[in-house]
Amino acid sequence: MKPITRRFGSINRSTFHIFLFSFVIAGAVFCGLSGCSPKTTEKIRITIWHQDRIDIRVVLEAQIKKFMALHPEVQVEQLFKETESLRSGFIIAAIAGQGPELVYGPADQVGPFQVMDIILPLDSLFDKSYLDQFDPKGLTYYKGHLYQIADKLGNHLTLVYNKKLVPKPPTTEKELIDIGKSLTRDLDGDGKPDMYGLAWNYTEPFFFIPFMTGFGGWIMDDNGNPTLNNRGTIDGLKFIKDLRDKYKIIPNESDYEIADILFKDGKVGMIINGDWSWSGYEKAGIDFGVAPLPKITTTGLWCGTMVSPKGFSINANVSEEKKKWSIELIKFLTSDENELEAARILHTMPTKKSVLASDFVMKNDIMRNSQIAIEHGRPMPVVPELRAIWDAMRPSYQAVLGGYKPAEQAAADMQNDALRKIREMNE
Amino acid sequence: MSEKLKTKTFVFFLIAPAFLVLIGVVIYPFIFNIIISLSNMSLSHIKDWHFVGLRQYVKVFTEESKPSFYDVFLKTIIWTVVNLFFHVVIGVFLALLLNQKEIRGKAIFRTILVLPWAVPQLIVALTWRGMFNYEYGSINLMLTQWFGLPAVQWLKSPVETFIAVIITNVWLGFPFMMIIALGALQSIPHELYEAADMDGASWFHKLKNITIPLIRPVMVPAITLGTIWTFNNLNIVWLVSNAGEPSDQTHLLVSFVYKAAFNFYRYGYGAALSMVIFFILLAFSLTFMRRTKATEAAY
Repeated sequence: MKPITRRFGSINRSTFHIFLFSFVIAGAVFCGLSGCSPKTTEKIRITIWHQDRIDIRVVLEAQIKKFMALHPEVQVEQLFKETESLRSGFIIAAIAGQGPELVYGPADQVGPFQVMDIILPLDSLFDKSYLDQFDPKGLTYYKGHLYQIADKLGNHLTLVYNKKLVPKPPTTEKELIDIGKSLTRDLDGDGKPDMYGLAWNYTEPFFFIPFMTGFGGWIMDDNGNPTLNNRGTIDGLKFIKDLRDKYKIIPNESDYEIADILFKDGKVGMIINGDWSWSGYEKAGIDFGVAPLPKITTTGLWCGTMVSPKGFSINANVSEEKKKWSIELIKFLTSDENELEAARILHTMPTKKSVLASDFVMKNDIMRNSQIAIEHGRPMPVVPELRAIWDAMRPSYQAVLGGYKPAEQAAADMQNDALRKIREMNE
Repeated sequence: MSEKLKTKTFVFFLIAPAFLVLIGVVIYPFIFNIIISLSNMSLSHIKDWHFVGLRQYVKVFTEESKPSFYDVFLKTIIWTVVNLFFHVVIGVFLALLLNQKEIRGKAIFRTILVLPWAVPQLIVALTWRGMFNYEYGSINLMLTQWFGLPAVQWLKSPVETFIAVIITNVWLGFPFMMIIALGALQSIPHELYEAADMDGASWFHKLKNITIPLIRPVMVPAITLGTIWTFNNLNIVWLVSNAGEPSDQTHLLVSFVYKAAFNFYRYGYGAALSMVIFFILLAFSLTFMRRTKATEAAY
């Protein structure tokens, strides 16, 4: 048999043909896997990207199954993504004309998504009678249009307390300090506390907001301009530093994981944490209660947390047919029955007026106190500039706690950094 | 069809799939990155972006930020040099030990020593972060209870945090160098050592004149790769320092890029900064490979 080349002397014509045939087969298989082959299923696929924790995913999955049982022609898939990768991944996918039909998350993602024009305005897609069923806090409007419909309200911080250690939760900062002092103990006599009164993730500025609002501050004005250099920021920073250095009721160093473990181990009596944490404490066997964060007596203001609805937005690239089913799915997942089911299992705050007025929400101790905390709180701004504000707050906030910047200087630096970062973002 | 044409066709079919993949995953993104780096693409110009020339590159070098590009660049160099030094020294030292004939159970030791490399970086980083906690972390518990030393504020002060992330990455990185060095050591003909023994050469002379020159052709590309990986290592710094804490003092150039592009939607600026990093690493690699004569044969 005649060889094909001199260089590949050992390869004859039939070997060459086998190779070519294999290559074509491999190509066909690859093509088939990547969707070049004709569709084998007629089902309409709707995908939801979300950043919900595992116990919420379980409830969501069960509700999706119910929806698919009602509509066998639709295949719904939920895909978990960590908050940051959901946000950047959705931006990249949607800009390229792809991405999931529905994106679910806290309301602050609406700002950047709207500016990039990658989510649809929902006003005209849902009728007024349906939207009227919601508490206004559950509908996120931006630049005059509705962009997100929430099934959960909150993402808010509360004071979670171990009932065995704290029979009655504090209502003022003075009571908080007194209870904290009584709980902070050196059990083994080595000169270091083995138990603390309070813990929370005090490296993250989101957890600083209640102290800032308690002392009369807020992060931005109605036009989205930062207002960080204020008395509330300064006094809030000093108060946290005093809790650690003067009253010594919080651990020397505490991020989210450390605070969470200390509370679960019964080594702190109280923790500042959100509605997402409660089911974990239930599973850990802690007999816990939930209370709104205390009032600051000098200002008469409650420590108000940031409140953010969590809900669904529709990808701007969605086809007409998929849009129809996406709307149906949102209506189903925000139905009274499903919102109430989620509230019962997860203690998340519903967004429908009828569910908010239900016996379970009104009479359950955790739900009632959670609602009070929401009432004391302020809505999280949805403008993209919020990202710059968090990033401007973080370094100076940590510098104060690290002891290498006074609170007054920190507040001024936060403001200047926020202005600079917003300018850079909008360049 | 002529024989020559047939050869070329056959070669074309052989390399075509790989070349197509290369275009898709390397060449196209690289060229697109260059284009973005010359544009004003950002949050407010994501779809209507246009070319702005070298403006983003000028910003990289002149923009007032805390920390500045130069601060972060210096920190990145310190990070890379210190990490590489310990990776190579610990890796080669352990490889020399494992290469000794007298040591029994080499396979067990080798497996144990490779473990840091086998554990996912996310788990390693978060475990070390917990270990560096001031009150409850095992590092401070050991320092105070076993050695009577004062506890260190590992994650609260900039210098200590930087040391903490370096320690974590040294622990993660030495097994790679150890495996590479061990492979190189095992390929050295034993006769060379026997001849040196007959000439009365000391351990140090054998190391200097036989071992190091003969493992160099393997180690230099490994060090070059290690430098690029370490320079561009986002995970450890980001996770151990919790995204640059405290006060954005624990950033490397690559985490700076990540923040600009994905936290602040400054795609043009981020692309320009990533091109600067690319040219820094390209210049280093070419210079290092040429000066160390890594591509020359050892024998």
